[in-house]
Amino acid sequence: MDSLLARFASNIYWLGRYMERAENLARILDINETYARSGSGDPDWRRVLDLQADSVRFFDRHDNVDAATVLNFYVIDASNPTSIAATVRMARENARALRHLISTEMWTHLNIFHNRVAQLTQRDLRPSNVSTVCAEVKVACQTFEGIAEGTFFRGEAWCFYQIGKYIERADQTTRILDIGFGRIAEDMVDTMESVHWNVLLRSVAGYHAFRGLYPAGSQPRDVATFLLFDEEFPRAVGLCVERLTTRLSDLELRHDHAQYPRVEDAKKGLALALETGLGKRITATGLHKFLDSVQVSLGVVSDAVAETYFGGN
Amino acid sequence: MAIAQLRARVREAERELFNLGITFTVYTDRDAIDRILPFDVIPRVLSPADWLAIDSGVKQRVAALNAFLHDIYHDARIIRDGIVPGELVYGNANFRPEMKGFDPPQGTYVHICGTDIVRDEKGKFCVLEDNARIPSGVSYVIENRHLMMRAFPDLAAGLKIADVDDYGRQLAKALTDVAPAGVSDPTIALMSPGFYNSAYFEHVFLAREMGAPLVEGRDLVVEDDKVYMHTTRGLAPVHVIYRRINDDYLDPKAFRKDSALGVPGLFQAYLKGNVTLANAIGTGVADDKAIYAYMPRIIKYYLDEEAIIANVPTHICREPDGLKYTLDNIDKLVTKPVGEAGGYGVVVGPRASKRELNAQRAMIKAHPENYISQPVVSLSVCPTLIGRAIEPRHVDLRPFAVTGRSTWVLPGGLTRVALKRGSLVVNSSQGGGSKDTWVVG
Repeated sequence: MDSLLARFASNIYWLGRYMERAENLARILDINETYARSGSGDPDWRRVLDLQADSVRFFDRHDNVDAATVLNFYVIDASNPTSIAATVRMARENARALRHLISTEMWTHLNIFHNRVAQLTQRDLRPSNVSTVCAEVKVACQTFEGIAEGTFFRGEAWCFYQIGKYIERADQTTRILDIGFGRIAEDMVDTMESVHWNVLLRSVAGYHAFRGLYPAGSQPRDVATFLLFDEEFPRAVGLCVERLTTRLSDLELRHDHAQYPRVEDAKKGLALALETGLGKRITATGLHKFLDSVQVSLGVVSDAVAETYFGGN
Repeated sequence: MAIAQLRARVREAERELFNLGITFTVYTDRDAIDRILPFDVIPRVLSPADWLAIDSGVKQRVAALNAFLHDIYHDARIIRDGIVPGELVYGNANFRPEMKGFDPPQGTYVHICGTDIVRDEKGKFCVLEDNARIPSGVSYVIENRHLMMRAFPDLAAGLKIADVDDYGRQLAKALTDVAPAGVSDPTIALMSPGFYNSAYFEHVFLAREMGAPLVEGRDLVVEDDKVYMHTTRGLAPVHVIYRRINDDYLDPKAFRKDSALGVPGLFQAYLKGNVTLANAIGTGVADDKAIYAYMPRIIKYYLDEEAIIANVPTHICREPDGLKYTLDNIDKLVTKPVGEAGGYGVVVGPRASKRELNAQRAMIKAHPENYISQPVVSLSVCPTLIGRAIEPRHVDLRPFAVTGRSTWVLPGGLTRVALKRGSLVVNSSQGGGSKDTWVVG
């Protein structure tokens, strides 16, 4: 097919984003649960609500912030648009519009995954089982990604899928970092035990890679540097931005698009936000500000892509 | 194979259908529920002789339908010659006066046709209905075959079964044949009302099989009487549209003004010859119950041939002989008003009370032109897996014909089966299922 419908470009972009979002949400819930269990800091679920900018919506429905309520809100409550159930449903709705463009295997897997998530109940979220459910969601998302890798035609549609995926992943990694650092009191960053950083690294499957690069220990600055700037680790913001930029360029180089100033500016803005770098001494507030500016720049790229290619869709 | 084993394979197969999302959608107030079309694993087998008759009969019928439509939208010779009453055509809500004098490419109006065929108690095939608007179900034919081959790879060993996989290519070829003049490499699009439509799976399926974009009205725009779709690069031309939207909803400028599914200006672009619509506008006049009764004469008139597949014998009450026969035998016949759809006003003689028969008799006498009558056809049956047993169930058959420059018929077709004992209703909404259909050779 020589021309991709604008609406489908938007659908495939959002399919990439929602699948990535579901996986990362599972990671975030899992790490917070783990922190809670390991006694490393409070089991502070309020923090997760803040990070996802969900506090208002949550307190509209619930009075108490406890593990069971928050997990219910984020895993099975399909009426909450930021839950895993809703995210997977949105992924499926986008895929449904795209069924003739994606591989049958991608669709089938997502359809099964969706049916599985839609059947989860409160019982599945009992404390001993939360990790298992989160792992199941992660694996299902990764399987989808694997099927896409092995079956999805590498045309223009695939570019938009990748762009959506990497924007979302970069954004989510900044949020996971924020969770890890955010729960620590100002100026206490350097005194945290290394187990705290290990849990954070493991939540993004980055522990071994990090250890290879920094054998000595887990300095908070090293952890942040790794997750933000590394260009070899797949969940590091640096790699995501590099991939994102490459796929945007592919649209011009391989799929015959013009160079659009709006997209160029957004790319530059994102590069600039990252170049600012971290200061010498890392504080929770300083890092939070930095992460915020990266998130804003990613949002600008997303808007530029939508307006340029999706024509208002 | 033991029944238990058979049932296990059925469960597997049905789960697979659900996982593949090969479903139609039923809407309730709260939810959209995806249901699979129940699938019976015992295939229906058609012999080479059966198929030869159906294939040639369907082609003949499609040729007659296209000739008829061309005629009524041009010189209306068949009406002037007194073969078909003019009011049946001009009084039909699906007749589109705007189409008069318009020449669709290749003279083809009905590009995709589904002919509903039953077998009577003597084993003779009869046409029950022509579907010349938007016949659906072809996706099940192909998916059922894939499913059968996966669930029973051993069953067909040593048999030569006609392949059904060529449909998408044949359809794309036919639609290329009817592209606007001067367009050698047309862009074909499949136009769907969107995924709330119960047949959305089929739209996806067909777009995929043809490698065509699946568009909705909101993706299309008409400029200078030419049709374009919104792509990531802006507007790109579209030349042929296989539309799965009724005439009424296609273009709010030309037809229903409240249509949010359509494309303003599409009909004008069509009349200018800049885009081809398949099927053509205004084909609904030909697959009407009233016209159906005249099909044998229509075939004779245009092709000078007898119908290869007969109609269910139909008595036309507007004709004196038909009226007399109908009134004399009303207790043995099914009497139907011609203008109504969905079974409204139908009286099945053998099952009706004396009072109902008298009322119907009075209605027919008052407006004989509104009625036809047919004998009660006892549909043939096929062995079907029901619970733990194999039982006979009534079936029909819908072969699909694709017409561009010439007509091709997908070998086999959709066999629908009434899963309820004794039921003659094969519709999916009323407890019908489907079977794989094997044309062996």
